[in-house]
Amino acid sequence: MGESLTETRGGMTEHDNTADVSRRTVLKTTGAAGAAGLTGLSGCLSSLTGGTSTVELLHGWSGGDGKAAFDSMREGFEEEYPDAELNVQAIGGSANTSLNTKVQQRVKNDDPPSSWADWPGANLQQFTDADAFGDIGDSVWTDEVRDAYLKGPMDAAKVDGTFVAVPTNIHRINNLFYNKSVVESAGVDPASIDSPNALVDALETVESETDAVGYAHSLKGPWTSLQLFATVFIGQHGSGAYDKFINGNGKKAQVAKSLETLASYAEYMPDDASSISFQEAGTMVQKGNAAFMHQGDWLAGMFQGSDFEFEAGWGHVPYPGTEGVYQLNMDSWVYPTNNPSPEGTKNWLKYCASKDAQKRFNKQKGSIPPRSDVSMDEFPAFQTQQFEEFTNSDSQPPSLAHGLAVPKAQLSALSTALSDKFDHTSDTVDATATAFMSAVGN
Amino acid sequence: MRDLARDAKRLVGRLGSAEDEVRADGGEPVDTQGSGPIAALKRNLANQQFRESMPFWLPAFLLMALFVYGAIIWNFMLSLTDPVGLGSPDYSDLDFDMYVQAFTSDSFVNATVNTFVLLVAFTLVSLVLGLVVAILVDRNIRFENTFRTIYLLPMSLSFVVTAQFWLWMYNFDNGVVNLFLDVLPFVDKVRWFSNPELALPAVIFALIWQFSGYTMVVYLAGLRAIPTEHYEAARVDGASTFKMYWRVIVPQLKGSTISATVVLMVFALKAFDFLYALRGTYLPYKGTDILATLMMREAFSNGHFAYAAAIGIMLFVLALGVVAPYLTYQYRSGQL
Repeated sequence: MGESLTETRGGMTEHDNTADVSRRTVLKTTGAAGAAGLTGLSGCLSSLTGGTSTVELLHGWSGGDGKAAFDSMREGFEEEYPDAELNVQAIGGSANTSLNTKVQQRVKNDDPPSSWADWPGANLQQFTDADAFGDIGDSVWTDEVRDAYLKGPMDAAKVDGTFVAVPTNIHRINNLFYNKSVVESAGVDPASIDSPNALVDALETVESETDAVGYAHSLKGPWTSLQLFATVFIGQHGSGAYDKFINGNGKKAQVAKSLETLASYAEYMPDDASSISFQEAGTMVQKGNAAFMHQGDWLAGMFQGSDFEFEAGWGHVPYPGTEGVYQLNMDSWVYPTNNPSPEGTKNWLKYCASKDAQKRFNKQKGSIPPRSDVSMDEFPAFQTQQFEEFTNSDSQPPSLAHGLAVPKAQLSALSTALSDKFDHTSDTVDATATAFMSAVGN
Repeated sequence: MRDLARDAKRLVGRLGSAEDEVRADGGEPVDTQGSGPIAALKRNLANQQFRESMPFWLPAFLLMALFVYGAIIWNFMLSLTDPVGLGSPDYSDLDFDMYVQAFTSDSFVNATVNTFVLLVAFTLVSLVLGLVVAILVDRNIRFENTFRTIYLLPMSLSFVVTAQFWLWMYNFDNGVVNLFLDVLPFVDKVRWFSNPELALPAVIFALIWQFSGYTMVVYLAGLRAIPTEHYEAARVDGASTFKMYWRVIVPQLKGSTISATVVLMVFALKAFDFLYALRGTYLPYKGTDILATLMMREAFSNGHFAYAAAIGIMLFVLALGVVAPYLTYQYRSGQL
């Protein structure tokens, strides 16, 4: 390789010496074209980063119920603002990992998109700490909107009293889904299970009476177990204790007790739990290969997208011990400063706060609207029931696994603790509890 | 040190015209005029050919300088700042705190150990396996092309795809690996990824499956370059097949081994894709955390960009430690 290069070079030298003018002209032209191309490229780059009226939206719903829900909302926006130009990018990936990375890069480079879908609450602190969000308290959160929104979602849209986001949907975390025919043939009544620990007996009955797995659960990523931990914790110690825990004033003994309960579920989980996703676990329930499953109500969105029907095929109860609690997860659209399309973005956010948008989005997403005045008539029976339970709920604690409850770094420390310390046995409970306490400690 | 100065001089000299070089018999150019690299550079700038060649290499050179080496330097500067989350880092107060923090952190040490285990085990086994397969394929077997394609095919697949394959193959209930183990007597099914002692070997095995085909192709090219006379001479001397390969053929594959080693090691450092695709988060299965995943996690899950930059620099130094000896070797043997 090296030698042939030398030869070429030698050959060229000879040609140059014979003063081959036409070749030299070609060389010069090529060089000039190269330089011109570079200039053109940098020109192009600057026009890309310069101000335009296109509204660039990033979200994580690249498929399934989420995509359908977003597309329906987008249609509504385009009907209301026919002149608006949208540039929408769906960045998929489990638990928003890829979307968050993209957004952080853009914000860090001072080149944010017009808006993106992110979890509200404590999760937004990382951006407000860097002054990356603008105040939309006057432009979007008008009195009409403020009167219509429920209190929990409205609080989550604010950081230190300033409105920076618009929540579009409320998901519930503390659900226990079950396959009706499996629990019936096992002779278990899900509504009568009254605590997270009592569920263990029900799982035992299911496994001894039927061929089904008791508890469909995915251990592929740490977030499924982290959200289960939060639900079990509330079920055992109540919302007040949970509130203290996420604010760094919790009791280690309480954490250990909940982890112990998680460990006692492990025996009834599928053997391949560590390599299946929550969707695959959901399919086990759907096919009758598993009886119970804890998951956010997006699982209902998944069931509703198939021929597995509510009440006929699957049932739902609030997770044992958490009746009257509506453990929240939400998505919201944010308003970054240095916005490439300030007016267009505000129009989008105003639309997100409207009844029309929330009806379109939530109907397909399996969630309920954060506005209290959206008519539930056209919603599926499951969501109507959930909305009723929400409006009658005593407390609405925020989700731990989705960053609503704790800032990002604490969430990461909790996930790492769960993944590295906890192997779903009693032996590892103490070490995990210690790591949990230091993760949320200030 | 003197060697280095001579090398630098030779490099600068080479940027200029071939006519300046008077080659000694070893291919070593001898400097005929002036002294020191600066003088050589000045001489080059005065040279017409050098100036005329600039439109060809200068744009690429500047782009590389800015986007590759500039970015590395910037990243190094960033690693000397203090963590500030998403805000702008303060470049006026630079120190090595992040490096100190890394060396005293258990997770960093753990990730470094895993990175080395992966690097060494993956590279060695891939080399040995690739060599054996290459020798087998080289022995005029039937369907040679078919076998070659089958062995090389995994390498053409993206890590995202192979990670999903192996996730299914390692499945406890119906994965093909466990079904195979189930057939064997006295062996139980294994929970590959949830057992921290087996997770890393399982990942390494999957990577070997993907890359030993590449090693095979490199060795096969090396084997084909060895003249048949060497085989014949060994046979005439009465060497057995094993002795022939061990004493005559394999020693001639040094070049192939070195280039394959470098590529494999660099791939091992980049095993991030595979681990990320397995679990879908920057937090890989317990026992498989490597520097690359730790770096991504610190940056994008924890917002510790300065710390992540420090890990990145150390990963860069590791990669450089792998590639630099190879480049030196290539350069010394006149192939660069």
